[in-house]
Amino acid sequence: MKIRDTFTVSVLALSLAFSLSACKKKEETAVLPPPAAAPAPAPLPDLVNVPVSVKQIVLNNKIDEATKQAVPMSAFAPGDTVYAVVQTIGSGKVALKALWTYHRGDKTAQVNETVQEIEAAGPASTAFNVSKPGGWPTGDYQVEVFMNDVSSGVQKFAVK
Amino acid sequence: MSTDKPSSGNDMPDFSDVQSDVSSTARETAPAVKMYTIKSGDTLSKIAKREYGNANDWRKIFEANQDTLKNPDKIFPGQEIRIPE
Repeated sequence: MKIRDTFTVSVLALSLAFSLSACKKKEETAVLPPPAAAPAPAPLPDLVNVPVSVKQIVLNNKIDEATKQAVPMSAFAPGDTVYAVVQTIGSGKVALKALWTYHRGDKTAQVNETVQEIEAAGPASTAFNVSKPGGWPTGDYQVEVFMNDVSSGVQKFAVK
Repeated sequence: MSTDKPSSGNDMPDFSDVQSDVSSTARETAPAVKMYTIKSGDTLSKIAKREYGNANDWRKIFEANQDTLKNPDKIFPGQEIRIPE
């Protein structure tokens, strides 16, 4: 009798151990795999650790004095002050030049030429401006921006 | 409407009274410099009078152009000089 009880207990113990082992195995297989890593975002362009370059030239008759920013404008009144905002990226010391000219047919007259040396440490805005006490003659004008004497872009405008 | 009269000779307006300025969010490493192309009849005194309101300031212009002007009385049409602020 005692032997049978011992046998029964042993069988039960073995069954229990097997069951627990099975459960444990199920738990292990139930663990979800880690989610696939999200693709890394495309790196932002470096606007600081690159040589200075002109990104945009914007004309307007006024600018935000603090940020030197303006929205594009291409027609002006004779009494306007005309601003050319030169937006640059990059770092370094460069000479920016704005060459303003007036055009009539195939003739060109120089209006103004101003040079400003800057030392940029990232995105910057440099605002050139011209005004004429007697008022601008109506007609076609343009401003060409040079960086270290190399042309970086032209913006045409009209005075009406 | 502008009252400008065409400059003599080439039937184009006169822009000699145009005023200019520059400002930047970047560090300005030197004062802005206006460039001027000398025309027939110009003298440094006349240019100084027009730019600064004082003909005696011609020396300021001469000193800013020592690399190209050796004699303040010898300037030539077409020469480009710097007009310091």
